[in-house]
Formats: sequence, C-alpha cells, structure tokens
Amino acid sequence: MSFIVRQIAYKADGSEIIRDAGSGETIITIGRNSDNAVHLPDLAVNPAHAQVEQSADGLLSITAISGQPFYLDGKSVTSGEIDPARGGELVFGGHNIIVSRDSDSGAAILTVRRESAVSDSEEERDLGSIYTLKGKVPGKRGSAWGFVALVLIACLAWPIYSWATYKDLAYAEKAKRPDGPHGDGFWSSGSMSLAHQSLKDDCQACHVEAFVSVRDNSCMTCHDDSAHDHAAKPRLATARGEPEGFAAFQRAVANAFNKPEGACVDCHTEHEGEGAMQPVAQQWCADCHDGMDTRLTDTKILNASDFGKQHPQFRPAILQQAVAGDDEADAPRRRISLDDKPIENNGLKFPHDLHLKKGGGVAQMGRRLSARYGFGEALACKDCHTEDPSGVRFEPVDMQENCAMCHSLSFDKIGGTFRQLPHGKPELVKADLRAYFRSTSPNRPINLGSLPRQRPGDVPRTRTAADYARAVRFRPSRADQAIRAVFSDGGACYDCHSVTNNGGLDYVIAPVTQTDRYMHKGWFDHAPHEEEKCTTCHKAEDSGKATDLLLPGIATCRECHGGEKETASDVPSSCAMCHEYHADGGAPWLIRQEQKKKKSKKPKVVAQNRR
Amino acid sequence: MASVASPEPRKKAGGRQRTRNHEGFLRHSNFRWLKIALILCIACLVSYFLIDVEPRHNGGSWYGYTLGTIGALLILWLTMLGMRKRAMTPGGWSLKAWTSAHVYLGLSLIVIGTLHTGFQLGWNVHTLAWALMMIVIISGIYGIYAYATLPQGLSANRDEMTETQMIDSLRSLDRQLHDAAQPLVPEQAALVQSSLEQDPFAGHLLQRIGNRYPGCSTRNAQAELRRSRAYQPRLGDDPLDKVDSLLAKKEATLGRLRKHLQIKSMLQIWLFIHVPMTFALLAALSAHIVSVFFYW
Repeated sequence: MSFIVRQIAYKADGSEIIRDAGSGETIITIGRNSDNAVHLPDLAVNPAHAQVEQSADGLLSITAISGQPFYLDGKSVTSGEIDPARGGELVFGGHNIIVSRDSDSGAAILTVRRESAVSDSEEERDLGSIYTLKGKVPGKRGSAWGFVALVLIACLAWPIYSWATYKDLAYAEKAKRPDGPHGDGFWSSGSMSLAHQSLKDDCQACHVEAFVSVRDNSCMTCHDDSAHDHAAKPRLATARGEPEGFAAFQRAVANAFNKPEGACVDCHTEHEGEGAMQPVAQQWCADCHDGMDTRLTDTKILNASDFGKQHPQFRPAILQQAVAGDDEADAPRRRISLDDKPIENNGLKFPHDLHLKKGGGVAQMGRRLSARYGFGEALACKDCHTEDPSGVRFEPVDMQENCAMCHSLSFDKIGGTFRQLPHGKPELVKADLRAYFRSTSPNRPINLGSLPRQRPGDVPRTRTAADYARAVRFRPSRADQAIRAVFSDGGACYDCHSVTNNGGLDYVIAPVTQTDRYMHKGWFDHAPHEEEKCTTCHKAEDSGKATDLLLPGIATCRECHGGEKETASDVPSSCAMCHEYHADGGAPWLIRQEQKKKKSKKPKVVAQNRR
Repeated sequence: MASVASPEPRKKAGGRQRTRNHEGFLRHSNFRWLKIALILCIACLVSYFLIDVEPRHNGGSWYGYTLGTIGALLILWLTMLGMRKRAMTPGGWSLKAWTSAHVYLGLSLIVIGTLHTGFQLGWNVHTLAWALMMIVIISGIYGIYAYATLPQGLSANRDEMTETQMIDSLRSLDRQLHDAAQPLVPEQAALVQSSLEQDPFAGHLLQRIGNRYPGCSTRNAQAELRRSRAYQPRLGDDPLDKVDSLLAKKEATLGRLRKHLQIKSMLQIWLFIHVPMTFALLAALSAHIVSVFFYW
C-alpha cells in the first residue's frame, strides 16, 4: 500500500471521527470531485487540483494539475516534494493535509482536516454583540473616559499649571507674565474692556490668590492716583446701612464665599465684552443715596435715587460777593436751591432782553456793524459769549473782546487813531481826561479874526475875543465835568458798572466777578447740547437785569433726561452722566468715554467746532 | 414608543399583576413632568426679563448663580438615570416616571442653561460646558425621536424572527450553498465561495446606518452566475439552478438582516454620543465651577 488517506471530521461535541482509506496507486489526485482519492469538499479547491506521486524511494512529489497553487509548509507553490519520513503540511483552501509515514507499512499517510468553517457566518459569533454597534464606533465607556481626561487636562489641569507657574510673579514689582498661550486664558468669561486690553493675557494681574476674589490692592497697583476715596470708609458704611431682606441674604452668601463688601469690582465689572468699561449702574449710587439722610443724619447731601424721579433741585454755588482782582475762584459762594430763586450780583449791569431784542437801537447798531463783526439781524448769544477750548463751558465775558464793538471807550481822534479810556483803571481814566483837556484848546470860533464873517462894529469883535479867551482859560477845569459825566448816570462807566461816589471826584467801581461754573458737584458739558438753542435753557430774552440767574432748573433738564431706566425719555441718564464717584474734578467717566469716542471718530471737525 | 408599561394593577386580589394599557414615558401621568418642566421654563424666562442685572445678564450675578446652581444640580440628577435604570421599580418613582422626568427636565435645561449664560458665549470653558450640554440634549432629542418612531419598523422587518434565527437561517443557507456548489467549475465556485466568506456583519457605521453595501458578494455572485449561464442551454439538472435559488434566498435573508442592523444602529447610535458627551459635560462643568471660584 502506497497511501493511507485519513479523513478527520468532528462531532457536535467536538470529538473526532477518523476514517482511513488505503490506496495501492503510486499516483493519487487531490480535488473537489468525489472521484479524487483525496476528496476535499471545498469550493476553494479545484475539481482536480493536484496530484501526488510517490517515487520508489518513498518521496512524494506534489504537482498542481490546473495551475492553481497550493500551500506547502506555508509557502504558495505549484509543485514540491515531501519526504513522508520527515513529514510536511499541505493546505488546499480551507483544508490542510498532514503528510507522515506509517511506521508499520511504510505507506505515506495523508491526514485531512477541515480547518476553517464552511462560511463566515458559520464561525462562532457573540450573539450579544454582533447586532450592536460594538466595534463600529468607539465604545461609550472608553470615549467617556477619554473625553473626561481631555476636558480635565485642557480646562482644569493646564490652567492651574499656568497659574502655579507664574504665581510668584504676582508679588514681584513691575512683573508681567510673558505673552503666549496660557491655560487660564481658557477660563476667561469674556473679553476685557478696552482700557484693560493689555492685561488680557495676564490673568494673574488681578486674580492673584486661588479662590480669593479680586482685591482692591490689585486695582490700586495702577490706579492709586485716580481712584480717590468717595468718602471716609466709616461714613460709606453708615450711608450704606445694614442690608435687609434679600440683600442681607446676598451679603451672607458673599461673606460665606469670602467676598468683601465695597470692593472696586463691586461696581467696576470686567469681562463684559470688548469696548469701553461699562459705567457704573445707578443702583450702586442709589444703594446709599436713596434715603441717605435717615442713615447718615449729619449729611448735607440731599437724597437722590433716580434723575427722573428722585433728585433734588439744583443748588448752584451762588456768588455772595464780587471780589476785585484775579481771585474770582476764591470769591465767597453759597449753594442755594434754584427753587429759592436766588439772585446773583456780579457787579455788572446788563439787560439781556435789551441786547437780544429783534428790533430797536441795539439791533439797529448791530446791523450797522454787521459787516465788521459778523452780527446778524439782531444780536445773538454767540456775539458776546465764547466757548472755552474744551467746549464744556464759556470764557468769561471780556470788555475789549465782547463789548467794545458797540460800547466804545474812544474819546479822541488823532490822525486816524482813536484814543480810548483805559478799561478797568478808573484812576487812569481820570488822568487821561485831565490830560486831554489840558493839552487841547477849545474850538476856535469862526468869527474870530475873520473879517468876512464878523458882525460890523467893535463890540462883537471884542466879545468874541473875550469869550474865547475865557474858554481857553477855563479849559482845564472842564476835565472835572467830563470825569463826573463819565462816572455818572448816562456816562460810559455807569452804563455797565455800579459806581459809588465818595465825595468830589472819588468814584469807586464795584468789583466784578464772573462765575464760570455753578455746579461743582455735577458736570454739565455744553458741547453735546450744541444742537439746542441757548435760549431753550437760558431764558435770557426775558431777563432785564444782570442779577437774574439764568440757570435752568431740573425741570428743564428732565424735558430730555430721564432716569437710567426711563427708556421712553430722550436721554435715559444714569448718575454717572453728571456725577463722578472718585471725584477728581474732571468730567465723569461716562462723559470721558463719549469724548474719547468723538475724538477717535472725527478729530478735525470737532477741533474746528470748538474754536 | 416607550415599551415600559404603566403598571396599573387589576383590583382582583392575587395572581400576576397585569397591565391594562400602554402609556409611554412621554405621556406618563398625563404629561406631569412636561407640565412641571414648562412651569420651570416659564418661571425662568419671566424672571429673566423682570430681574434687572447690571450691566447685563451674566452667569456671575446672583440671578446667574441661582440659575447655574439649579442647572448643575439638574445635570447631576439627570446623569443618575444611568444608575437608576438598572433598577426597575413600579409606582410614582418608577423607572418610567424617572425617564419621563429625565426627558422633560432635560429639555428644560435648554432654557435654564442658556439663560444662565446671559447669551454671553465665547471660546472658553464656560461656553464649552454649555455647548456640551446642548450636544447631550440634542442627541437626547434624537433618541426620543428614534424610540418613538423606529421600533415599529424593527418589528415589521423582523417578521417574528429572533436575531438567533436570523443568523441560523444564514448559516443553513450557507451550508446548502456550499453543498450545491460542489459540482461547479472553479470560476463559478470562487464566486459562491466569496459569498460564503463575506462577513454579513461587516461594513462600517455609515454602511450600517445607510443600509448600503455596494460590495455585496452574494449579489455579485448571483449576477455573475446569471450572466455566465444566460446563453447556456438549459439541461434540466443544472447545479447552477439550485445555487441561483439559494443565492436569491440568501440575499433576501441578508436584506432583512441588514435592515434590522440599520434600524438597531439608528436606535443605538445616539447613546454613543449622549453618554460620552454627558461625561465630558460633567468634566467641563466641574472645570467651569472650579474656574469660577478659582479666579473670582
């Protein structure tokens, strides 16, 4: 016997069934057809795939019949040899054939086994998972932990690492974190305001200690010059009073979380988006100033909570007494409510109504001089009042600049030059007048020494000569008369100034003090109001006396300005529009922002308007 | 719709408790949790517009902290459904009641969470938490839609076959194909073999969900065999006839299996987003809360 073909099949329980078939031939074939000696029911095997020939010395040579290769000891070949004594393995499709030698008979044994299942679905399956998405998408558990790790590293570990790395810098003087991506930038809840843009990568400039809210000393690092105290801390606390109800609860929560009361950041909130820092809301002011007199009983400040609803009448600082010289700012003033209809004597006489009248002498004079001074049909406010360079207020009225166009002090003409009485210097006025009368002669009568115009006879000639001689002689004493005239009713000085006579020619002009700012606790800027007519607020057309205070009351302002919440009003106005908490004397925060905006938008136009 | 039945016991004492009607988790207790969630949302919306926060609404005001605390506690409670669902109990706090509350309170988080942001969104950890929350909620909305609409199709397609029966029928067809194809010439046998060798559960996610298998070997084998014998004379006992009919049966069975896989994957896919994103949300929420107090 040359070959033993040993077919091995498996029972359901996994045990083997072995079937041997002997063959005396020296050549046998391997294939799918049942007439092959080695029958492999395998669709991957050709009907007649290969033949095995045994030579005399027992060696097996295997050759593919159809040219289809097979595997010999793991290599794909179309022919090869196996020594059954040494053994070998052939693979055809899903079957493998182990070649060995029967020690008794010396025949070659071909042990045939089906290694792989008939089909893919035949293979063992985990029924619990094949119908699910397992293996198709990342598992829930795995990706959950993956995301958790990713988020915690990127959003928690890295930011804390950034903070810890530069923690010591926070205490170093003038130290700044280097630019570059820092993990804690990912914690920012919104863009920083324009003013703080330079700090946007330096979270630790303000957030110094972990779990400690931003403290005032962080702010004061840069703002120690401008952040003046609003009032002494104990007075602030008294004015604020003990919180009640919900506010008390909020305070308790804030205390529990170690958030101090009255910190800069209470009012100045950051991370509210790019752009100017938001002005402080009215509520922060009203917290203390609403009903403040009940808590801070000695205060002189009246209660206020909302410009539209609860705000005292304006109390401008009224001049009590005009002072001489340049110390106008130091002149005594007193705050009086406009409701008390205060008057102010600044030392001048000036009827606004007369000057602003559409007809009459003043208007007529203005029209005559319009070519020279640009007056209109009648005089207007701007003809005498000039804005200061900032546009906020007006320059004091200046006699030479603003009055002398009409109220000329000329008294003599030499050649083309007019001589003027020196304004503001009464003694010089007297001296000039005296000098004038001393150095000039009276007009020479035309009949003096002129034959054709003389009346006949000596008497008229003598009389004329005598009259003239007397006039010449008494000429200097005419100066006293002129001095008296200029300081008295109808005279150039008396028209505008209060003049007192201490006997003889001792005339004293009352000092004049002009007030350029009445509201020192609030801020009023004329520039944003330039679209309004002056007379909308200042009732100058009806004012016959200089003592009339032409300031508008709160009712006039309220025609346009309402409280912060009065969105129906033309200009909802928070406290910050006129008042400044830190009181450095300048414009309030909100107005400064507006000015900055205007400047950056149209610098040239604004400059021209102000001039 | 939800398959958890409302457990209304019959009055009859003794015996198994039976349920009379199917009331899904969406309709549970006459929409009790829908009403509660709506009241919650309306309360939040009204207070948002009534309460004045200066200079504008944000998560850092007292109102913002309040909404944030409510939202965070809700998220934690909603996450607990994952634990709760493993213990089914009847009654007012039944799993169905929990699921109903989970759905409606989860939806109300859209309002609570978004109002908490004060609509101040940016590229930061705070908005990340909000975005993850929205992803979780949106995937959940899809989940409700899938649970409400897909099971009918699954049942109709299955035709009372179990999943085990489906694969057994495939195996049986494969064995028959293997036997029937034995007499075929090598080229034809190779076509049948490729059909046998192809894994019916192969194909990536998009193929499953789209039910598109352009490289189906069974369909290819059938087409090629039909083409090759189109001009051959019919000789009565042709083994190809049997192979062809078996391939046709296999394709029909595969079609049903693939439809089944498609519907099942559509029923399951949202959880592969919903669950991992929930955990990502919990991590982002923790980072959000820590960061607020770390730098505040």
